[in-house]
Amino acid sequence: MENINPNKHISGQFNAELEDIRNRVLAMGGLVEQQLESALNALIAMDAELAQKVISGDHKVNGMEVSIDEECTRIIAKRQPAASDLRLIIAISKTITDLERIGDSCTRIAKAALDKDLNAQKPLLVSIENMGRHASRTLNSTLDALARMDADAALELHKSDAKIDKEYEGIIRQLMTFMMEDPRSIPDILDVLWAARAVERVGDRCKNICEYIIYYVKGKDVRHISYEDMEKEF
Amino acid sequence: MIAIDSSVMNTPKIDLENLSQEQTALEIRDLNLSYGDKQALFNVSMKIPKKQVTAFIGPSGCGKSTLLRCINRMNDLVETCNIQGEILLHGQNIYDKKVDVAALRRNVGMVFQRPNPFPKSIYENVVYGLRLQGVNDRRKLDEAAERSLRGAAIWDEVKDRLHDNAFGLSGGQQQRLVIARAIAIEPEVLLLDEPTSALDPISTLTIEELISDLKSKYTVVIVTHNMQQAARVSDQTAFMYMGELIEYADTNTIFTTPTKRKTEDYITGRYG
Repeated sequence: MENINPNKHISGQFNAELEDIRNRVLAMGGLVEQQLESALNALIAMDAELAQKVISGDHKVNGMEVSIDEECTRIIAKRQPAASDLRLIIAISKTITDLERIGDSCTRIAKAALDKDLNAQKPLLVSIENMGRHASRTLNSTLDALARMDADAALELHKSDAKIDKEYEGIIRQLMTFMMEDPRSIPDILDVLWAARAVERVGDRCKNICEYIIYYVKGKDVRHISYEDMEKEF
Repeated sequence: MIAIDSSVMNTPKIDLENLSQEQTALEIRDLNLSYGDKQALFNVSMKIPKKQVTAFIGPSGCGKSTLLRCINRMNDLVETCNIQGEILLHGQNIYDKKVDVAALRRNVGMVFQRPNPFPKSIYENVVYGLRLQGVNDRRKLDEAAERSLRGAAIWDEVKDRLHDNAFGLSGGQQQRLVIARAIAIEPEVLLLDEPTSALDPISTLTIEELISDLKSKYTVVIVTHNMQQAARVSDQTAFMYMGELIEYADTNTIFTTPTKRKTEDYITGRYG
């Protein structure tokens, strides 16, 4: 939006605070990205050590969520932000919630990697890997759009979540076939399904973050509306 | 998914450009004003809705007080002042030669930055306007005094000392007394020119609370330097800059998603 001019507040201190909080969100995003990458690697290689690292790393993500949220509260109390500043704070506060939930998904994927029985289901894990890489790229691009506050990129990414949903449906169908063929495998396959579900949720969370980017830049709340209506805002 | 009717969630927005005659308290049309050679207002046009609070905000010297003072012709007192354009009250241009300025000011009351009670008792301050109008019936005056003091949310504080000198009141009380004096003659429009800039934060909140109550009976137009105050008390906000009306919209829009860059910069405290 040609309207937004992130710096240039008369109060240099306020500029610094907003800049700092933006940097911290991006740092949190970077950490979550790393967690997702490691969780997927751990699952594909059934690497228990790496999985354990992901699980124990989740508290860092949680801690960042809490401290950024505190900073948001402080800025609202002290600065009474308005217009784009207010939208930035609200967008950040919501974004970190979704980032934290992506972190939880990573833990869930990593937990599947600790499950020894899943070794037998390796072929199934390959399709999760594909979807996982796709989700990971989406997260990466979402964080990029967030860093640049690029609403057009956010809209494109928002649309691309449908692809991850399609892949997820494909995996479900595949898993159901396996379960019907060999009911003894159901417990293991359910574990694979939970991991697939966790990956699919990453795409949904990215979609939410894209909505917050659009809210910040365009000043329009595009949650729960159709793409046609969404595009009208551009 | 449950469809939520958006009108239930938000108070309906007023379409400021297409206000009907009944909804409009004041209409300003192409108003230009200059003090000598210096033009202070440029082509200001707006409709101010009835029984709502409209705030004028903008940096010092942007013309917001000048515009407010035009509404009850306070600028007539400035010799070098030259005004073109119209301000319509009940469809009648208040700058028309036929208009009686005293009658206009009875209809459009004004409260200034510094409380200015008269050196009289609290009671006499409130009924001053009525006495000027020739009302002398004690019962009517008593009724009007109580009604106005209650209306200005100061009755409970002064009811036992109505005949004490008004200067004995605190700044915040004096300002509410002045508002009581303004509403005693039952104007339609109340103009407030930075009514809380000389008051402490608690008195400010009392006045803000009062402003929200006043709009059930009066159309309130307020000039304020305090942006958060405009955000808190007003229904509509007009942002002015260098004598021009830059943006005029409902307050929620102005403070969350202003459409003009200048408004955005001012509201968020950036260099213009």
